[in-house]
Amino acid sequence: MGGLTRKKLWSIVALGAMIGLLLLPTIMLLPTIMSLPALAGGGGAPAAGGPPPDVAKPADAAAGKDAGPKVEKGRDVYYKTEGIVTGAPAPKTADNSQFYPRYNFESRVLLWFANQQHLYYGSFVLAVPIFCMIIEFMGIVSKDRAMAKKYDQLAYDFIKISLTAYSLTAILGGILIFTFLTLYPAFFGYLSSIFRPVMHVYALMFVAESGTIYIYYYGWDKMKEGLLKWIHVSMSVVLNVIGTVLMMLANSWIGFMMSPAGVDEQGRYLGNIWHVIHTALWNPLNVHRILGNMAFGGGVVAAYAAYRFLASKTDEERAHYDWMGYIAMAIGVAFLIPLPFAGYWLMREVYAYRQQMGITLMGGLLAWLFIIQATMIGILFLSSNYYLWQALGRMRGAEKYQRYIKYMVFVLVVGFLIFITPHTIVMTPAELKAMGGQQHPVLGNYGVMSAKNGGINVIITTTVLTFIWYMRGNKLSTVSWAKFGNIFMGVFFACAYVNIIWLAIYGYYIPANVRVGLSVPQVATTLSCLFFMTALNGVMMRGAKQMGPIEWGKISVRSQYALIMLATAFTWMMGLMGYIRSSVRLFWHVNEIMRDNSPWAYTHTTGFAANMISFNVLFFWVTILFVFWLGTLGVKKAPVEAKVPIPGRAPEPAVGH
Amino acid sequence: MKGLLWIAGLAGAVAVVVLVLMIFGLLPANTVKLVEGYMPMQMLFELAFFVGVFSAISFLLNKSGFPLPRFWQGIAFIAFILMYLKYRVYPPIPFSVRAMYGTVTIVGVFMWMSGNEEDWRKFKQPILNVLDAGTRFHKTLRTGYLIGIPILLWGFSYNSFLPNLDEPIELRTVHPAPPASTKVHGKTFVLQTSQNPYRVNPEGKYDQEYTNAQIVEQGMGRLMKPNANPWDPKAEGYLKYVREGGEIFFQNCHFCHGDNLNGRGLHAFAFNPIPANFTDPGTIAQLQETFIFWRVSKGGIGLPREGFPWASVMPPWEQHLTTDEIWKVVLFEYWHTGYYPRTWD
Repeated sequence: MGGLTRKKLWSIVALGAMIGLLLLPTIMLLPTIMSLPALAGGGGAPAAGGPPPDVAKPADAAAGKDAGPKVEKGRDVYYKTEGIVTGAPAPKTADNSQFYPRYNFESRVLLWFANQQHLYYGSFVLAVPIFCMIIEFMGIVSKDRAMAKKYDQLAYDFIKISLTAYSLTAILGGILIFTFLTLYPAFFGYLSSIFRPVMHVYALMFVAESGTIYIYYYGWDKMKEGLLKWIHVSMSVVLNVIGTVLMMLANSWIGFMMSPAGVDEQGRYLGNIWHVIHTALWNPLNVHRILGNMAFGGGVVAAYAAYRFLASKTDEERAHYDWMGYIAMAIGVAFLIPLPFAGYWLMREVYAYRQQMGITLMGGLLAWLFIIQATMIGILFLSSNYYLWQALGRMRGAEKYQRYIKYMVFVLVVGFLIFITPHTIVMTPAELKAMGGQQHPVLGNYGVMSAKNGGINVIITTTVLTFIWYMRGNKLSTVSWAKFGNIFMGVFFACAYVNIIWLAIYGYYIPANVRVGLSVPQVATTLSCLFFMTALNGVMMRGAKQMGPIEWGKISVRSQYALIMLATAFTWMMGLMGYIRSSVRLFWHVNEIMRDNSPWAYTHTTGFAANMISFNVLFFWVTILFVFWLGTLGVKKAPVEAKVPIPGRAPEPAVGH
Repeated sequence: MKGLLWIAGLAGAVAVVVLVLMIFGLLPANTVKLVEGYMPMQMLFELAFFVGVFSAISFLLNKSGFPLPRFWQGIAFIAFILMYLKYRVYPPIPFSVRAMYGTVTIVGVFMWMSGNEEDWRKFKQPILNVLDAGTRFHKTLRTGYLIGIPILLWGFSYNSFLPNLDEPIELRTVHPAPPASTKVHGKTFVLQTSQNPYRVNPEGKYDQEYTNAQIVEQGMGRLMKPNANPWDPKAEGYLKYVREGGEIFFQNCHFCHGDNLNGRGLHAFAFNPIPANFTDPGTIAQLQETFIFWRVSKGGIGLPREGFPWASVMPPWEQHLTTDEIWKVVLFEYWHTGYYPRTWD
C-alpha cells in the first residue's frame, strides 16, 4: 500500500475509534438508565456479592414474611427522601474470622498498603495524559516548527513514562480487589451490592481507558501530521474524559463510606444510584483529587527529569532534562496553587456534614496530622520558590532579583510558621503549668483558622511574585508605560498583602460563619495576583529586550534536589491525607451505617501512621524508579548532529522515539 | 537614603542591646512589654523590624569595608531567633513548638544562604576552609572538630540513655469531638441542630444577628455597649437571660473560670491545666453553643475516649443545674467575652 492509502486507512480507523469511544459512555450507561424505573419499582435488589449468607438470612426471612405486593419504604439518611427498599441491610459484623479472616498480620495495614499503592499509580496515570493533552496541543498550535517538535517530543516522553505505570496500576487494582475480598469480605460485599448498578460501567470504563491509551501511544508516529494529528490530540481528550469519569466513580465509593446517602438507617439501598454516588462530599473530593493528581503527576515527572539531569553525561542531555523538569514543575505548581482552596472547601463540607467529624479532623484526635500536613504544604511551596530562585541563575540579567531573596524567605517563613502553629500543643505538664493554661496568648492566635488562612495566602502570593520575577528574569520591558506598569504591580502586590493580613486579623472580631466566608476575599486576592499580574506581566514583556539567553542545563544541582524534594513531599502528603480521610470514620466502615467490628478498628498512633506512610512512599519511589529505568531501556540514541544552540530557546530533545 | 540606613542601623543596634540586657536580667524583663491582646502582631512586627535593621547594619558594614562573613550572618541570625523565642516571648513557648520554629528558621536561613551561587560560595567557604585545612589555624580547628564532634554526639547519646524522671509529654486533645447528640435531664439534644432557647429577639424568636449586636465590644476593655446593659433593671428578653446566666456563673463557675472568664479564678491554680480561658480566641469562639452545652452538662467525667488524658475536673453540671440554667450560662459566656458562637448558615 502506498503512503497515502495507509494514511487514509489510519484516518478511518482512528475516526472509527474516536466515534466508538465517544459513544461508549452513553452505551455503558444505558443499562443503568433503563434499570432505574425497575429499581424504583422495587425490582433488581442489589444482592450479588452481598453479605455472607448468615447475615443476609434475617433480611431474607423478613422479606419472606412480608412476601406479597406490599412494598417497604425507607428514608434516605442524607437526602431525607422516601424510597422503596431494594437492598439488604448493612451486615452487622462480629469480631471473628468469618467476617474478618486472619492472616497473622493486621489486615487493615495490608489493605492500607494495597490501597495507597494503587492510588499513587492511579493518580499518576490519570494526571500524565492531561499533561500530554496540554503539551501536545501547545505543540500543534505553536508556529515555531522547532518548538512544536520539542513539545511533541516532551508529550511523548510523558506518555511513555505513564504507560508502564498504567500496567502497574491495573495490577495493583487487581491486588486491591483481592485484598478486599480476602480480608474484608462482608464489607466489600455490602459496598459492591450498593454500587452494583454502576459496577459494569466502572469495569467498561477501565477497558475503554486501556484501549484509548494504547492507541494514543502506539499511534503517535503514524498520526503525526495534518488531520490525523488533530484526531490524535482529540483522542487525548477522550482519554482524559474517561479517566476523570473513572476517578469520579472511584471517589463515589469513598464519598459513600464517609457521608453515606441513598440508603436508609439500616443501610438498605433505596433504588436511586445517583443519590448513592452524589453524596455530601463527592464533589469536593472530585475537585480536590483532580487538582491533587495533577500536582502529584507534575511532581513525579519533575523528579524523573531531575534524576535524569543528575545522571546526565552531556550538556545536551542536561539542557533537555532541565527544560523538562521546569515544564513539569510549572504544571505541578499551577495545580498546587488552587489545591489548598479545594482542600478548604472539602473541610468546610465535612464540618457542615458532621460537626464531630470536622472537630475530630482539625481540632481533636487527628489535629496533629493536620499540622504535619500544613508542614508538607509549606515544604511544597518553599521548594517551588527555591527552585525558581535557583532557575534565575541560568538567566543573564536576573541577578537584580536575587538580592531580594532574603526578604522573600522571611515572608515565606513567617507565613509558614503561622501555618504550622498547632492548636493542640505537645508539652509536658511542667510546660503547661509554666504557660499558665492550655491557651498561649501568641500561639493560641496563630493556631486557629483565621491566622492560618492569612499564612497560606501570604505564602501563595509570594510564590506568584517569585514566578513573575522568574518570567521577567532576563527581560527588560520596552513598552512605553513600563515604569507605570511596574509601580502598578508593586502597589497591587502590596495591597494584596495588606488585604490578606488585615482580613486574617479581622477574622477574630466577627462571627465564625462570617469568618469562614472571609476566606473568599482572601482567596480572591491571591488569585487576582495570580491571574491579573501574570497577564499584565505577559503584556509588559511582549517584545521585551532580552538581557541574555536562558542557558538551559546551567542550573545548580540544588535546584534538582528541590524538585526531588517537591515530588517526595507530594507523595508523603498524599499518603498522609489519605490516612486522615480514611481514619476520620473511626470505627465505621460506612459512617453511622456499618460498624467496623474488626480488632483493628482503632486509630493508630501518629508515630505508627507516619512510619507506615513513609514505607508506602519509599515503596512507591523504589517501584517508580524501576518504571523509569524500564523507560530508558527502549531509548535509541539519536544520531549526533552538529547543532548550533539558539539562545533562549528550549533545547533539542536528547532522545528519539 | 544613607542617613536613613544609619538611623535604622543605630536603632537596630540599640534594640538588640536592650533585648540582650533584658534576656540576661540586666534590664527588667518588661522594659519593652508584649501588650496583651496585641502580642501576636507585635511579635511579627518585632521580627520584621529586626530583619530590617540587620539588613541595614550588614549593608553599612559592607560599605564601610568591614563586611560580616555570610556564614556568620546565617549562624548569628539562627542564634538570634532561638534566643528571641526562648527568652523574649512570655508565657514561655513549649519546647515542641520552639523546635518546629527553630527547624523552619534553619531551613529558611539555608534558603537565603544558597539562594544564588555567590552567596552559597561565600557561605560554604569557611566550612571548606576547615575541611581543607590549608592553614595552621584551620588544621587546628579541624582537629578540634574531629575530637569535639564525637564527644558531643557521645554526650547526646549518653543523655538519651539516662533514666528520665521528667513527667512525660502529653498530646492533650483540647476540643475532643462531641457526640452527635447528648441526653440532659431526659431530653435528647442533637448537637448539629439544637439552638440556645434564650438567644432570642424581642419577639421571642431565635435570632443570632440581634443577640450578636448586644454583646460586649472586643478588645482590651471588653466594654458594654451603651444600650445593652444586662444589669439594667428594665432589661428584658435576651439581656435579662444574660443577667440570669451571669448570676448562675458567679454562683457556680467563677471560682475556677475567673470573674473575667479568663480561666484564672480563685481555685484555678490548684489545677494543671488551669481551667479554660474563654477570652482566648481558641476556645468558645471556635465552637458551637451546643458543644459548650454538652461540655458543661457532662463535665470532665463525660469526656470521650479521645479526650485522653481527660485532664479536666469540671463537674457534670447537669447534676447541679437545670437545662435552662446551663443554656443561660452559655449565653452569658458568649456575651461577656464578646465572641460569637460558631454557626453553619
